[in-house]
Amino acid sequence: MSLRYRVEIRNPSRCIGCYSCVFACSRHLFNAVDPKRTAVFVELDRRGVRAPKVSMCRFCKEPECAYACPHGALQPIPEGGITLTPSKCAVCKTYDCIEACQYKVLVLDEDKKVPILCDRCGECAKYCPHNVFWYTEAPEI
Amino acid sequence: MNTRVLYVDLLERKSWVRDRSDLFEKMLGGVGVASHLLLEECAPKVDPFSPEAPIIFATGPLTGIYPCMAKAVCLFKSPLTGNLGETHAGGHFATALTTAGYGALVIKGGSLHPVVLKIRDDKVEVKTASSLWGLGTRAVDEALAEPIKNGLQSIASIGPAGEHMVLYANVIVDVHHHFGRLGLGAVWGAKKLKAITIIGTKSVPLPNPQAVKAFYEKVEHEVVATDKMSKYHNLGTPSNVLELNALGALPTRNFRERRFEGAEEMSGERFAETVFRRKVTCTNCPVACIHLGSLLKTFAPDHEKGRTEIVKEENLVAYNYEPMFALGSNLGISSPSRILELIDLCEDLGLDAMMTGSVLAWVTEAYERGVLDEKTLEVKPRWGDPDNVYPQMIKNIAEAKTPFYSRLAQGVAKVSDRYGGRDFAASLGGNSPAGYATGYGHIVGTLVGARHSHLSNSGYSIDQQIAAGKAKVEDIAGFLVKQENWLYVLYSLVACYFSRSVYTPDIVVEALATLGMKVNKEDLERLGREIFHTLYRFKIREGFDLEKEYIPKLLRELDTPIGRLDPQTLKKIIAQYIELREREGLTIRKKEESLAEFLLPQSEG
Repeated sequence: MSLRYRVEIRNPSRCIGCYSCVFACSRHLFNAVDPKRTAVFVELDRRGVRAPKVSMCRFCKEPECAYACPHGALQPIPEGGITLTPSKCAVCKTYDCIEACQYKVLVLDEDKKVPILCDRCGECAKYCPHNVFWYTEAPEI
Repeated sequence: MNTRVLYVDLLERKSWVRDRSDLFEKMLGGVGVASHLLLEECAPKVDPFSPEAPIIFATGPLTGIYPCMAKAVCLFKSPLTGNLGETHAGGHFATALTTAGYGALVIKGGSLHPVVLKIRDDKVEVKTASSLWGLGTRAVDEALAEPIKNGLQSIASIGPAGEHMVLYANVIVDVHHHFGRLGLGAVWGAKKLKAITIIGTKSVPLPNPQAVKAFYEKVEHEVVATDKMSKYHNLGTPSNVLELNALGALPTRNFRERRFEGAEEMSGERFAETVFRRKVTCTNCPVACIHLGSLLKTFAPDHEKGRTEIVKEENLVAYNYEPMFALGSNLGISSPSRILELIDLCEDLGLDAMMTGSVLAWVTEAYERGVLDEKTLEVKPRWGDPDNVYPQMIKNIAEAKTPFYSRLAQGVAKVSDRYGGRDFAASLGGNSPAGYATGYGHIVGTLVGARHSHLSNSGYSIDQQIAAGKAKVEDIAGFLVKQENWLYVLYSLVACYFSRSVYTPDIVVEALATLGMKVNKEDLERLGREIFHTLYRFKIREGFDLEKEYIPKLLRELDTPIGRLDPQTLKKIIAQYIELREREGLTIRKKEESLAEFLLPQSEG
């Protein structure tokens, strides 16, 4: 998927908590239904008084996660966001990147021991029934 | 597919896992698998409240994989009817159980002290929970919930009604969903099981991911981009209120009338304009049929020195058609906030709102007719509840406060057996019927259905076709048989009833094929029939006798859009139904002929 694509959360209050985005993400990234290995997160308010909290990578132009990586495995890209070189990441035992993310949207794939990166496929946006997500080709909105 | 079955013994506080791919391969999952586990685990004539009575939960091969496959089924011995207990819940229970790594859960034994069953993937614990005993379901949920970022969490609990073994106590799932109707909550109460919490974080692998992705896209389109399920999303089932009222089929004041002067005020449209706040849904269901309404509670006036403007607390309460009918029109109540208040109370206490409504309607009529006096009741119930006595009565039922309220806690049939007034006790097969005064289909369908629910076989829907001139009364028996057989296929996947127009036989065959399961439509048809027969044989074994079932006068002579029901026609449809079932190879009649006992007043008056 081209890095020019961008997906972001535009209408968080519309979320109904169906997890369609989470499962779309794990289907795409891991060929599985998997609530844990995902790059998009849904946290419910169990009584439903508030909308669920939906979160995902914000494609920071100055990504703390990449700055925190001691091995140069995570690299910032000019459009915003990061790329991962798994071979460089494999030597890491500290996962400083995950601690560094202020939005807590970088999580570890516990099988492969690398962070799970959003690859901007847009499946979450495609399967969201309420247009919580915004998916666009333009790097700047 | 998850074929592991988790067994838990509450007394010994231990658990073990067995792979039951034998069952899952043959019976798909859901009710299919659970029906076999029930036969394995439940000894004949066991007391529903004894430690020997098992509780079986199951998910299915499509759980979490395709949209609207979010239901878990539970089979048990019903304390309300004395035979089959079958109930389905949405929320996150099914997907949490699946992603915790289990296709089914079998609970055995009974604890001596209050406990919570905690399942977190492979870690299973039965923990003492004396401090939770006595709490309402909302407070239990709050106490047990954990912050979960990536994983699925489900919390199911009982309230005081389950603890006091009210025979129609529910298990409340994830605040707004239920295992409802046939008294599962009371069975938990007898086992001192206050709650089950599940956290699932495991992966459900897909054998052919490309096929699943392609099929997901297709079926998701059917769910969200066609009108097949839009009703449930838009106004939700409350849209029934005005439709049924216009048709003259909205049960009002204990089924005595079929049009309600307050229909406009309690309509789905009015709820949407006034109290509606937000929609929520089950995991992996984009429909969001659960509509939450705002209930403002004012604190006691002296709490903030009478400054009421700042002392209102908002609580969101799920509303849908059935509780709105049961606690609204059927009690003569039309105010959305009053209806929400009663629903909220039932939910927190863990009572089945539909049966609670039927019980209150019966009590109100019994009081009006002089069958019950104020001394017994302690209050004066009247239609529309002008004296606001229903909330206190509901609490009294949940806590089985007096001998009389303990009777009310046994359901409308048993209480009328004791005090009289059986002819106006809305009960079919031991359960209270849903809110449709539509015709023969609903009455017969509820009576003959394995779980005595309108969702057993959609009898109300053929009634509406008949009222519109699109079907005939003679078609009812055949429709009920076909519908219930097919629904048991859907309930084995486990699909939501609301998605039945999406998951047609062709779609189901295709969906299973994407998971490498080769079945055809004939196989499914056979399976649905077999499941129904298994469940019915269980019912009969436990003492259910369709020939001895009784249809109270208010239902057998119900006024409907096609006129007043005729007992002889009812009898004829039931006879046709029995004949069709017997032709399938299921023995229902104990002796030839004799439908004579049907409809005969047993303890009427």
